[in-house]
Amino acid sequence: MQYFEDIAVGAARETGSHTFDAAAIIAFARQFDPQPFHIDPEAAQQSSFGGLVASGWHTAATVMRLLVDSAIDLEASLGSPGFDDLSWLKPVRPGDTIRARMTCLEKSPSKSRPGIGSARFRVEVFNQKGELVMAFTSIGLMRLRNPASQQE
Amino acid sequence: MKYLEDFAVGQVTEFPPRQVSEEEIIAFARAYDPQPFHLDKEAARQSLFGGLCASGWHTIGIMMRLMVDHMIGEYASMGSPGVDQLRWLKPVFPGDTLHLRGEVLEVKPSRSKPDRGVILTRYEMRNQKGEPVLTMIGKGMYRRRPAASAAAGA
Repeated sequence: MQYFEDIAVGAARETGSHTFDAAAIIAFARQFDPQPFHIDPEAAQQSSFGGLVASGWHTAATVMRLLVDSAIDLEASLGSPGFDDLSWLKPVRPGDTIRARMTCLEKSPSKSRPGIGSARFRVEVFNQKGELVMAFTSIGLMRLRNPASQQE
Repeated sequence: MKYLEDFAVGQVTEFPPRQVSEEEIIAFARAYDPQPFHLDKEAARQSLFGGLCASGWHTIGIMMRLMVDHMIGEYASMGSPGVDQLRWLKPVFPGDTLHLRGEVLEVKPSRSKPDRGVILTRYEMRNQKGEPVLTMIGKGMYRRRPAASAAAGA
């Protein structure tokens, strides 16, 4: 359970993993990011990536799924106002397996909205070689388990 | 084909409107963001959002598609090193029509790699009521015009 009170600054949660295949990379990109290096293996060969790579937004959406499946509490989560400092550091290619680690940087109860807290997390995404492929700093809103504890 | 040099600071692009359907909101959320307020109308009504709304990552995907179809696709794109300051300001509901606008903030030729450079663009998406739903600073990497990069390397 990850209500506001359950989140410890400095603590990290690890997600499960996901392996990308070429068909899924192409299907996502056809819908949302149809650049040649995401949809056309031939063109991708000639690009600066040297082969087909996943859209960075496909990686990001997949990380969201990993977080929902293993790191975010659906009873407590109230969504997110956004994120900062997102970097794509290495391409994600067919056959690559990613997993994410989410570390709480800080948290504070809302002053204007009783029962709600917000926290900032650094989310780091690694491939099967342990290389950092993507990172961002996410803001999450969540319920307090005990709203009375806000009056501290 | 257009190159880094074809971007100018202050250049504004207005993208065609894009309506969002309930079916696509639910399909995206099932695959990538299965939280109740993106999947289930009843649960969404009880949530802070007050109704079913698109995953923020879906809104980003819709924005990216507009960018590729109406801007990036005409340029020698080399991908993106990242984005910054993304904010989801209002929920996107089924039937909403999104209007995207981009303004180029900086055009920066690379110092270490003379064949490329990065542009910074501030994007803003508004709904049909004119309310901003998403803002972001995007970074795009583009090839320089081949003659220019040859001269820079000489």
